[in-house]
Amino acid sequence: MASTRREWAEDDEFDDPNALPANEIISNPDGTKTMITYRLADNGKKIKTTRKIKISVVKERVNPRVAERREWPKFGREKGHPPGPDLTTTTIGENIVFKPNPQWRQKEKDEEATGSVKAQLKDKKVSCRICQGDHFTARCPFKDTLAPVGEAPPDDSRPGSPDLAAAPGGSYVPPHLRNKGKDAGAGSSFSSGRERDDLATLRVTNLSEFAEEQDLRDMFERFGRVTRVFLAKDRETGRAKGFAFVSYQDRMDAQRACEKMDGFGYGHLILKVEFAKRSQ
Amino acid sequence: MCERALTQVKFNKDGDLLFSVSKDHVICVWFSQNGERLGTYHGHQGAVWTIDSNPSTSILASGAADNTIRLWEIKTGRLIKTWEFPTAVKRVEFSEDGEYLLATTEQRMGHLGTIVVFPINPDVNGEQAAEPSLRITCTTSKATVAAWSYLSKYIIAGHEDGTISQYDAKTGEQLLNVPVHERGTLITDMQMSPDKTYFITSSKDKTAKILDVDNLKVMKQFVTDTPLNSAAMTPKKDFVILGGGQEARDVTTTAARQGKFEARFHHKIFEDDIGRVRGHFGPLNTIAVHPAGTAYASGGEDGYVRLHHFDKAYFDFMYEVERTRAQH
Repeated sequence: MASTRREWAEDDEFDDPNALPANEIISNPDGTKTMITYRLADNGKKIKTTRKIKISVVKERVNPRVAERREWPKFGREKGHPPGPDLTTTTIGENIVFKPNPQWRQKEKDEEATGSVKAQLKDKKVSCRICQGDHFTARCPFKDTLAPVGEAPPDDSRPGSPDLAAAPGGSYVPPHLRNKGKDAGAGSSFSSGRERDDLATLRVTNLSEFAEEQDLRDMFERFGRVTRVFLAKDRETGRAKGFAFVSYQDRMDAQRACEKMDGFGYGHLILKVEFAKRSQ
Repeated sequence: MCERALTQVKFNKDGDLLFSVSKDHVICVWFSQNGERLGTYHGHQGAVWTIDSNPSTSILASGAADNTIRLWEIKTGRLIKTWEFPTAVKRVEFSEDGEYLLATTEQRMGHLGTIVVFPINPDVNGEQAAEPSLRITCTTSKATVAAWSYLSKYIIAGHEDGTISQYDAKTGEQLLNVPVHERGTLITDMQMSPDKTYFITSSKDKTAKILDVDNLKVMKQFVTDTPLNSAAMTPKKDFVILGGGQEARDVTTTAARQGKFEARFHHKIFEDDIGRVRGHFGPLNTIAVHPAGTAYASGGEDGYVRLHHFDKAYFDFMYEVERTRAQH
């Protein structure tokens, strides 16, 4: 190749595809310099680096003896090493904020005092209000059968709830405890409705992920009045998770739907339909 | 930065070089500006306990557990002179003019602790004296630390039993011996003020004290909650830096915070505890302050030399009384 005569058009640049353009340094009118360098990356790509540099001269007066020592060649284990800190022996530490303050100790003591409340609680023993055992009241094995120690057994079948609901205003009462005691006997619409719901609710599984709520409603409405269709969907993708709940107003309708729809082909899958188990 | 527990760090007189010695037999010299290592000095066969450079930063002296004092040419790392002793050398220090070097040797194997003084030839290529010009034998308790007073008038020594002695630097006669620290507690460090008229000592009895060299009177006392290994005074600002921490052998049994491995700053005049600098994860063995008061270095049992440069908050700090006085 070297011996063959070159065509005039075959310039050096085109000869070698890996040849890098020459580095450039351009002086800008505002006193800065632009340096353009080229290099080859590991994957064979050319990389152009453009750096803008401003050179400012900082004058420093140092002791001539100190300046002379700075030029000393390195020796011993550092022999032949280039100037500048060696990362194997020198690391830059984190910046430490040091503010002298004669009262710092007092401050720290205050902080410790607040922390000690926590420490006190830590030492406190957990004791169950029902059986005085060393567990939380909620974990007590007798919580359904016994009333808390020192309290009369409530008439309500659920111990503990009335006194919570009767707590003085201002404290938070969870939604499921609100209105408790007031209309427990009258049949709270929520809880009893829930019970009725469960009786006539079907659980549909093995749904394809492209199932639509409207399709399910259309399919199941053939057997009676459907009060609710719930299709579980993935929160992120928006696709069905593969199961749904269908509630009927009448349990008989649900019974028929269960028999007919179990094993029904929907999409590319065979549905499985059964009565929903009561949630715990 | 180093491999094993640091035993001493020291700045040279101009403060641009920092020397460090550790139990790994090697002496290191660093640029204090950026922490760059300039070189190492090889030759010692045991843990190096102590180091000092002469005022012109040409000769370095080191004392080690291999029972030698060695002189080095600072620039090249060349060994100039070796003096052999029957026991380990725990402390070396050049006099203010660099004409003399004092050293303390251990009490061991039937040998009593001594303080020796060598005349030093400032020419790095010249011949050094073979024998000490003065030898003081400590009959009661060995000297652990020693330093020169102003004009090399006295030699002040701190002893293993907590007492401090004042010797005449010419004759070696003991002029004073006063109990300063709690009886039987080792004096771990002694550093002179820049003018060498007073000095600070640190002790295992958890206190550091500032004493006058002339009459060995305690002028200030700093009480801490941990055994101290080192104490230094800062020029420019009236602070002292104390370093210590729990004994190395007990370290693994406690948390880092409880080990108290912090540099403690106290005010030199008011004796108040004014702050701490954390960073080491072992007890601090040695502290040195830059002669210009702009930085300090600490060496710990953890094998690190930490070099701290002070920032503006440090220099701006004043007590209320100082501030009002400065305004008038």
